[in-house]
Amino acid sequence: MKLNLIGLLFGALFGGLLAGAQLHEYDTIHAMLRLDEPDVFLLMGSAIAVSAPLLWLIERRGMKTPFGGEFSLSRSMPQRHHIKGGALFGIGWAIAGTCPAPALVMVSSGALLGLIAIPGIFLGLHIHERESQNQLHVGDGEHRNLQPTGK
Amino acid sequence: MFDVLPDRVPWYIVGPGLGFLIVGLFVMANQPLGASGAYVQTSGLLRRRDGIAVWRVWYFVGMFVGGLMVTQVLREGSEVRSGYDALRDVLPLGPTIVLVFAGATLLGYGAAVAGGCTSGHGLCGTAQRSPASFAVTATFMTTAILTTLVLRFATGGDL
Repeated sequence: MKLNLIGLLFGALFGGLLAGAQLHEYDTIHAMLRLDEPDVFLLMGSAIAVSAPLLWLIERRGMKTPFGGEFSLSRSMPQRHHIKGGALFGIGWAIAGTCPAPALVMVSSGALLGLIAIPGIFLGLHIHERESQNQLHVGDGEHRNLQPTGK
Repeated sequence: MFDVLPDRVPWYIVGPGLGFLIVGLFVMANQPLGASGAYVQTSGLLRRRDGIAVWRVWYFVGMFVGGLMVTQVLREGSEVRSGYDALRDVLPLGPTIVLVFAGATLLGYGAAVAGGCTSGHGLCGTAQRSPASFAVTATFMTTAILTTLVLRFATGGDL
C-alpha cells in the first residue's frame, strides 16, 4: 500500500518537473534536436551530474532501502538489441517529439495530440511483447524485477 | 490557476531536481525512475495479467497528475488545443495525426527492444554508469538528431 503512495508521489514529482521545463511540448524537444537550444541537453546532463555521484557514494556505503531491499545498482554491457532499440527509439522520438513520460504530461497540459501519441507508445511496446513470446517485458533501462522485494 | 510558476522553469533547477528524484526513488525502493516500464505494467493491469507491479501503475497515474498540477494549477492554466505547434505550422491535422501515431509506435517499440527510454536508459542507466545505457543513449541521440535533419530537408527547412 505504502509503496503505491511512493509510486504516485514520485510519478507526480517527475511529471511536475517535466511540465516545469516544458518537456511535454513538441516545440521544446524539436528545438533541442534541431540543436537550436542547449537547455534540454544541459537539463539531462545536470540530472546525471547530480545523481551519478550520489548513487556511487550510496553504493559504496551500502544501505537497506525501506521498500526495495538492499540498495543495488545494475550495469550491463551493450548488446545488439540495445543499439537496434536505441536507433528505432531515436527516430520515433524525433518524429513524435515526445517520449513515454512527457506524452502523459502533454495530455495534462491540454494538448490533445498526446491522446494519439500514448496509444502509439502502447502499441509499439505491445508489438515487441508479442514478438517475445507474450511475456511481460521489463522496460526500464538497466533493471531488475519491477516488484521490489521486502515489505 | 495560480500563476506562481514561470512559463519555463530553467534547466539548472529542473535538471538537478530530477537528479535528486532519481536518487530518491533508488533510496526508497531501489528502483529506477523510468517511464516505459510504467506503460508495460499499466497495459498488463488493463489486460488483467498476473504479476503486475501495481505501484508502477500508480506511478503512471502520478506522472499525469503531476503534469496537471503544474500546467493547470501552479500555472495560469493551459487551454485545450492540438499541441505540436511547430509541426502544425507545416502540416495539416490529418498527416500530423498519422506522423505522431507512427512516431510514437516506433519509439514504443524501440524502447521495448532497448529495455528503456529517455528516462530509464538516458537518465537512470547512465547515472548508474551502465555501459549499455551509454550505448543506448548515444545511439538514440544520434538517430534523433539525424531524423530531425531529414525532416528539415523534407520540409524545405520549414520544420
